Amino acid sequence: MSISLLLVSYSLLFLVSFSFLLFIYLIARRIVVQYQENAFQKKYAAIETDILDIVAFPERHLAEKTAEKYKSQPHVLTKVLVNYIEQIEGLAREQLRKIFDKALKEKCLRDIHSRRQIKRLKATHLFVIFSEPSDSEHIVRLLNDKPIVKLVAITALSRIPTSKTLDYIFQSFVNDSIANARVYINIMFGLGGKTESHVKKHLHESLSLEKLGLLIELIGAIPLRSLYRDILPFAEHRDKEIRIKVARALGHMRIPASLDVLIKLSDDEAWEVSAQALKSLGKLGDMASLDVLARSLFSPFWHVRFNAGHGLASFGSAGFKRLKKIQKQKKDRFASDMATMVLDETIYVGET
Amino acid sequence: MDGILGSAFQVVTGIILVYFFLINSLYLLFIFLSIMGIFRYRNAMAYVSFKDIFQMPLVKPISIIAPAYNEGRGIVESTKSLLSMEYPLYEVIVVNDGSTDDTLEKLIEAFDLKKSKRVFRKTLKTKPLKGIYISPSNPKLVVVDKINGKKSDAINAGLNVSRYPLFCGIDSDSILEKDSLLKMVRPFVESPEKTVGAGGIVRLSNGCKVKSGQVVKVELPHNSLARFPILEYLRAFLGGRIGMNMLKSTLIISGAFGVFRKDIALKCGGYRTASIGEDMDLVVRMRRFLHEKKIPFKLEFIPDPICWTEAPETIKTLAKQRNRWHRGLVETLYHSRVMLFNPRYGVTGMFAMPFYFVFEMLGPVIEVAGYGIFTVLLIMGQYNRPFVILFFLLAVVFGILLSLLSILLEEYSARRYPRLKDIFIIIGYGLMENILYRQWLTLVRAKSFFDLAIGKKEWGEMEKKGFALESQKQ
Repeated sequence: MSISLLLVSYSLLFLVSFSFLLFIYLIARRIVVQYQENAFQKKYAAIETDILDIVAFPERHLAEKTAEKYKSQPHVLTKVLVNYIEQIEGLAREQLRKIFDKALKEKCLRDIHSRRQIKRLKATHLFVIFSEPSDSEHIVRLLNDKPIVKLVAITALSRIPTSKTLDYIFQSFVNDSIANARVYINIMFGLGGKTESHVKKHLHESLSLEKLGLLIELIGAIPLRSLYRDILPFAEHRDKEIRIKVARALGHMRIPASLDVLIKLSDDEAWEVSAQALKSLGKLGDMASLDVLARSLFSPFWHVRFNAGHGLASFGSAGFKRLKKIQKQKKDRFASDMATMVLDETIYVGET
Repeated sequence: MDGILGSAFQVVTGIILVYFFLINSLYLLFIFLSIMGIFRYRNAMAYVSFKDIFQMPLVKPISIIAPAYNEGRGIVESTKSLLSMEYPLYEVIVVNDGSTDDTLEKLIEAFDLKKSKRVFRKTLKTKPLKGIYISPSNPKLVVVDKINGKKSDAINAGLNVSRYPLFCGIDSDSILEKDSLLKMVRPFVESPEKTVGAGGIVRLSNGCKVKSGQVVKVELPHNSLARFPILEYLRAFLGGRIGMNMLKSTLIISGAFGVFRKDIALKCGGYRTASIGEDMDLVVRMRRFLHEKKIPFKLEFIPDPICWTEAPETIKTLAKQRNRWHRGLVETLYHSRVMLFNPRYGVTGMFAMPFYFVFEMLGPVIEVAGYGIFTVLLIMGQYNRPFVILFFLLAVVFGILLSLLSILLEEYSARRYPRLKDIFIIIGYGLMENILYRQWLTLVRAKSFFDLAIGKKEWGEMEKKGFALESQKQ
C-alpha cells in the first residue's frame, strides 16, 4: 500500500470516527439540553410560585425562607429574580433584593474576583440589577478590568448614585478612550439631574473635542437647564461639531433666552450648524424666529430648507401661513417645493 | 499517459489536492473561530436587556429600505412586519421598483396611502420616480413608486428619500424579528465613529408559521428542495461569516438584512447599479473607500438578530438564484480587483479578497476540473482505483463533518429548530446533498462564468409564495 493511499485511508478513518462521535454528541446533547430545560422549567415554576407569594404579600417577610430554600439552585433563582425585579417596586422589590443578598450575593462577590472573565462579567451584570451602596467598594475594583467588564461595572455603579460613585464614573469617562465615551454618556443619561455638578465641573476641564461634544449633548438630552449659561460660550467654539451640539442642546432645553444665540447660529458659516439651529428654533417656538425660518427656506442647502420648513410647521397656523406664502411664490422653486412637501406631510400624516 | 500531458495532469491533480486541503482547513478554522465568537457573544449578552438600548439617548434612528418587484403576494404582510419592529425611531421605505403586478395597489389599499409632494435630496442618480406615498395611519411608512431599474437602483432611490443616518437594506419578502434592529444597532451605539456596517443571520422561512408579520413557529420546509439550503445557510452564516468576522474580514453583509451608515454609503456612491451582487459590492467598495482614506472602521456580524427569508422551491429558480449569486461574486471581485493581494488594503486586500477569489470564486472551476480529470482518467483506465474511491469518500465525509459542525453551531447559538426530529432530517439532507445536489450546484456556479462572459445581466426573478399565503394555509 502506497503512502498516499495509507494517508487517505487513515484520514478517512479519522474523519468517519470524528463525524460519528460528533453526531452522537449532537443528539445526546440535544436530549440532555431538552431534559435540562424541562427540569429548569419545573424549578423555575416552583420558585416563581414562591416569588409571586412574596410579591403579593411582601409584609409576610418570606424572603429569608425562600432564599434558604433555593440557595442550592443559584442559576434558576437568578433567572427568576432578574425577570421579576425590574417589573416590581416598593416593599416587594426589597424582598427580592433580600433573597439576592441571602442566596446569591456571596457567590457573586466570589465571582467578581474570579480569574475567568465570563464569571466576572456575569456577576457584575447582576450587580447592575441588585447593587447597593455598600457594594461600591467591590465594584470599583473592576474599573481596572478589561473594557467589557469595566463598562458593566460603571453601569453597576450608576445604580448606586452617591457622590463617590459619580466621581468614579466621571473620572473613568475622562481617562477612558473615546471609543467607550458614548457608553458613559448613556450611563450618565440614566442618572439624570444627579450628574449636574459633575458635568459642570468637567465641562470646564480640558477634554478632547469628542468628549466635550458628548457632554454638551448630554446637557441637552437630560436636559440640565441650570447649565444653560455654561454651554453658551461654546456657541462660538471654533469646531463646527461643538457648535452643532450646542444648537441641538439649546433646542432640547427650550429656554426662551436662547433665542438670540440660536438666531446667530442659524446664520453660521457651516450649513450643518445652521440646519441644527433652525430645528432648535422650531422647537423653541418663539414667534420672533418666524422671519428667520421663512428666510432660511431659500437657503441653497437642502437640509437647511428641510429644517426651516419643519420648524415653521411646528408653529401651527402662523407657520402654515408663511409656508403657504412661500409655496405660492415663483422666484425660488426649491423653496416652494420644500414648503409644499412640509405642508403636505403635516396635513396628511400629522408630522411636525 | 506519458510525456507533457501526463505531467500536466499530475500538476493539476496536485493543485486540486492542495486546494482541497487548504479550503477544508480554512472552513474548519472558521468554524472553530465561530464557536469562539458565539460563546463570546452569548457570554457578553448574559443578563443584558435590549430594552435598555431603547432608552438610550444616542441611539441613531434607522431608515429601513425594502425594494419590491412583483411582490404583490406578500408585500402587505412583510410591510406590516417591518412596521411592528421594536425600535425608538425608524421609518420604513418600500420602493416599488416598477412592479408589473398589483404590489403598489395592495400597499395603497392596505395602508390607505396618499400621494405626497415630498421633496428630497437627489444624492444618487436613479431611474425616475413616479410618486411618493405616505400613510396617514402609519406615519413611519413611505412608499416610493419608480420606473424599474433593478434592486440597486431601487435601494438608491430609497436612500435618496430616507431621512435617518443609518439605513437597513432588506428584501421586501423578508421578515425581521421584532428586536432584531435593537440587537443590530449595538455596535453603532458602542462604537459609533468606527462602525460602518453590521449584518445579521438570515434563516429560511419556508414551512414556518407566520402570524401578524412575525414567525411564530419554526418548522422545516415541506418542499424537499428548500430543505437543502438550510444547511447551506447554517454553514454560510454561522460558520463562514462569524468566522470571517472574527478575522475582521467581513466582506458580505447579506442584502436580505444589513445596517449601514448612510453617510459612508453615499460617499461610496450608494449601490452600484451595474453590479449583480449589490450587497457584497457595497461592502467591498466601502472597505476600499475607508482603506484609501485611512479611516479606521469596523464591520460587524452579529450572530443573534434574525431575518427570515424564502428559499426557492423549484430547481429552475434555485439555479437562477445561485447563478446570479456567483455572477455577482465574480463581477464584484473583478470590479475591485485592485484590492487583491494589495497590502494597502490591509486584511481586506491580503486575506478577505484573496480568500473569496481563490476559494469562493474559483472553487466551482477547480471542482469541475477535478470531476473532469477523474472522468478522463476513468475513460482511459489510468487511475488508482482505491485511491480515487477513498479520496472521494474523504471529500464526502469532510463535507458531512462540516455540516455537523454547522449544526453544532446552531445548537450553541439560536437553536431555532425545536424538535429532535428536525435535527435528524437536517443531518439526513446533509448526507444526501453529497449525491448530485452538490455537484449540480457546482455546475450551476461554474456556468455563471460563461453567462457573465456572454453578458448575461438578468436578475433571475424568483417565484415566491409570499408569507400571506403561507400563513393562510396554516
